[in-house]
Amino acid sequence: MSSNWTPVALSQDVLPGMAIPAHLQDQDLVVWRSATGRIAAWHDRCPHRGMRLSHGFVRGEFLSCIYHGWRYGEDGQCRKIPAHPELAPPAAIKVPRFAVCESAGVVWVAPEGETSEPVDLPGFRGFRSVAVNAAADQVARDVAGQGHLGGCDVVMLVQPLPGGDCGLHVLVADGCADAQLDALSHAIEALRRRLEQGVAA
Amino acid sequence: MILYDYVLSPSCYKVRLLASLLGTGLDLRPVDFHPGAEHHGPEFRALNPAGTIPVLTDARLVLTESGAILTYLAAVKAPEWLGHDDPAMQARVANWLAFSQRLTASAGGARLHDMLGFSGDIDTLRAQATDALRELEAAIHARRRRGGIFLAADRPTIADIACFPYAALAPDGGVSLDPYPSIRLWMRAIRALPGFIEMPGIHRLHEQMPEPGPMPDVVRKESA
Amino acid sequence: MSVTMQDHWYPVALASGLRRSARDTLLLGRAIRVALDDGGAPVVTAEGRALPVQVKFGHVWTTLGVPAGDVFDIPEADQPGRRLVEVGSVKVRCSPLRAVENFLDIAHFPFVHTDVLGSEPHTEVERYEVEIRDDVDEVWATKVKFFQPQAARSAQGGITTEYMYRVPGPTCSVLYKTCPPRPGEWDVITLFVQPLTETTCEVWPWMALFDDDSTMTEMIHFQQLIFLQDRSILENQLPALLPLDPGREIPTRADMLSIAYRRWLKRHGYTFGAQLVAA
Ligand SMILES: N[C@@H](CCC(=O)N[C@@H](CS)C(=O)NCC(=O)O)C(=O)O
Ligand code: FES
Ligand SMILES: [Fe+2]
Repeated sequence: MSSNWTPVALSQDVLPGMAIPAHLQDQDLVVWRSATGRIAAWHDRCPHRGMRLSHGFVRGEFLSCIYHGWRYGEDGQCRKIPAHPELAPPAAIKVPRFAVCESAGVVWVAPEGETSEPVDLPGFRGFRSVAVNAAADQVARDVAGQGHLGGCDVVMLVQPLPGGDCGLHVLVADGCADAQLDALSHAIEALRRRLEQGVAA
Repeated sequence: MILYDYVLSPSCYKVRLLASLLGTGLDLRPVDFHPGAEHHGPEFRALNPAGTIPVLTDARLVLTESGAILTYLAAVKAPEWLGHDDPAMQARVANWLAFSQRLTASAGGARLHDMLGFSGDIDTLRAQATDALRELEAAIHARRRRGGIFLAADRPTIADIACFPYAALAPDGGVSLDPYPSIRLWMRAIRALPGFIEMPGIHRLHEQMPEPGPMPDVVRKESA
Repeated sequence: MSVTMQDHWYPVALASGLRRSARDTLLLGRAIRVALDDGGAPVVTAEGRALPVQVKFGHVWTTLGVPAGDVFDIPEADQPGRRLVEVGSVKVRCSPLRAVENFLDIAHFPFVHTDVLGSEPHTEVERYEVEIRDDVDEVWATKVKFFQPQAARSAQGGITTEYMYRVPGPTCSVLYKTCPPRPGEWDVITLFVQPLTETTCEVWPWMALFDDDSTMTEMIHFQQLIFLQDRSILENQLPALLPLDPGREIPTRADMLSIAYRRWLKRHGYTFGAQLVAA
């Protein structure tokens, strides 16, 4: 399942009008969705005074920094500086972006310019993301890929996080009965406990 | 009703927040918690021997636990916030009120340590806060699977108000909220309630305010 | 001989807050202990060595080096009729220099101190004047104006407030602002920052206000409310160290004071909490 794309969040967890923090390797990202549903992944750092943009707010198709309200359009370009309402912001004020796409209910991120597609996972949808206090490569060896958990067919995507933790994004097969999902959620918790105790699943 | 209050206290904020959501006023009496430690003084101890805030008084009634204060305020002003529709709901609310004390002890303890220099075993406090937040996350995820977002009912109740402040302020104590997508959505739902008020460390939803002046031109560069 | 950050005075405690039990803390990364001697006078030691001590503005000040003079003065603070407000300290996981720079910043008021010190759509920062006063070696900004919904605990409704800012030491700042109940006078609000490490600090706000209506506790709480709104910003700026070289961060005209502060720090080599080469 190797690809240049990293799963950073589930689509269901980034509603229109929301900005959230995320990570690509050691890079801090802001992932945000505009009012009309466009998703974007940027450096989580405002070019003005370095504030994390993931603390910002979305109005319409713009992401605003919480500190001084600088407003950025979808291309990462600064469009408005509230302290100088009449000023057209210089083109140099731009937030670096990453490639981003959504499939199987997952938000995938890659370095800007990535041309490949993320893996296709037909028949699965996003269920639950959890952080695991264990190394990504070790967790990936144990659980990554397609399998069964809590009586459901699942795909588990492992994402390295800074500080040696990892994110575990669990997708569930479309056909899985609702009644089974509570068991799946509990199984995810149990799996995390095992992984954090260093005991292979 | 008189609330003995401190601006930086998440527990006092629970009461102010609920009062604001219910559209009811409180008579606020600021207590010099920091740096004055007025809550440890003899006068305050006469009111509350435990020396803690908040305290709510209403005529001769004196309440010293935030869960009880929320319960009283809701019962008097807006009983639907009690979540007493059926026994199970009522018990869920009671469960979350009790749970909120774990958040207070852990995330709140870490916050007082990191912010105001109170003593405490910071690693243990943070680990306990993480355990509590993981439970909260799992529970909200379960509510989401049933089309809800609030803790005990399909509407907000005092359970949500009791748990919201210390969860939202966990980063003050060095406990990140990044890994909790369901808590993030739940906090957003609470911040979007009519009458919501903030406290330092919790921002209002600026996205709900109108954009002053025209929106900047939308430049669309279609990505290939 | 050049003055380094070591040679400046720093606040390390409230004089009124000292108890028999010692306060163990840090100054510029070094462990220090603040205590009372048998006569009830504050003493500060580093590894057993006694450090110079002064008590001013209600705080205990000390230095690790050789100070060029006494703790700076705030002459206005001595005017009769002012209430002196000891706000207490708050610890912040940020560079001490970033904490000062935030205090010198006006443009964030509508977004961080919404409906108190600022509000949309009143976001514009008009041109103001900035200078480095060489005779006293201080950074100053004057003629700073901003519309404020509730400029002080004593304010009734929105007013355009005028500010002056002063930086008398690398981690201390004093602001003067229009005093709602007493036109023609200035309220004095300070931010004294104790640098613990390069990325952590303890902040000691102190005020000398004309306000005959508010209780002391109300004035303390107003200031704590404001400062704690800044804390979550300060703990989320990247990089943690304040970049002194232009390039990494992009200022505008509203940031003239921040630019002057950064230049002044760089010129003096006040780099504890700063980053010199763009990372
Ligand atoms: N208590 C102050 C609040 C201000 C304050 O201490 N803090 C910083 C906020 S970063 C500041 O620059 N304040 C400007 C101001 O006082 O308006 C007031 O009376 O307005
Ligand atoms: S730091 Fe983002 S607008 Fe100033
Ligand atoms: Fe501020």
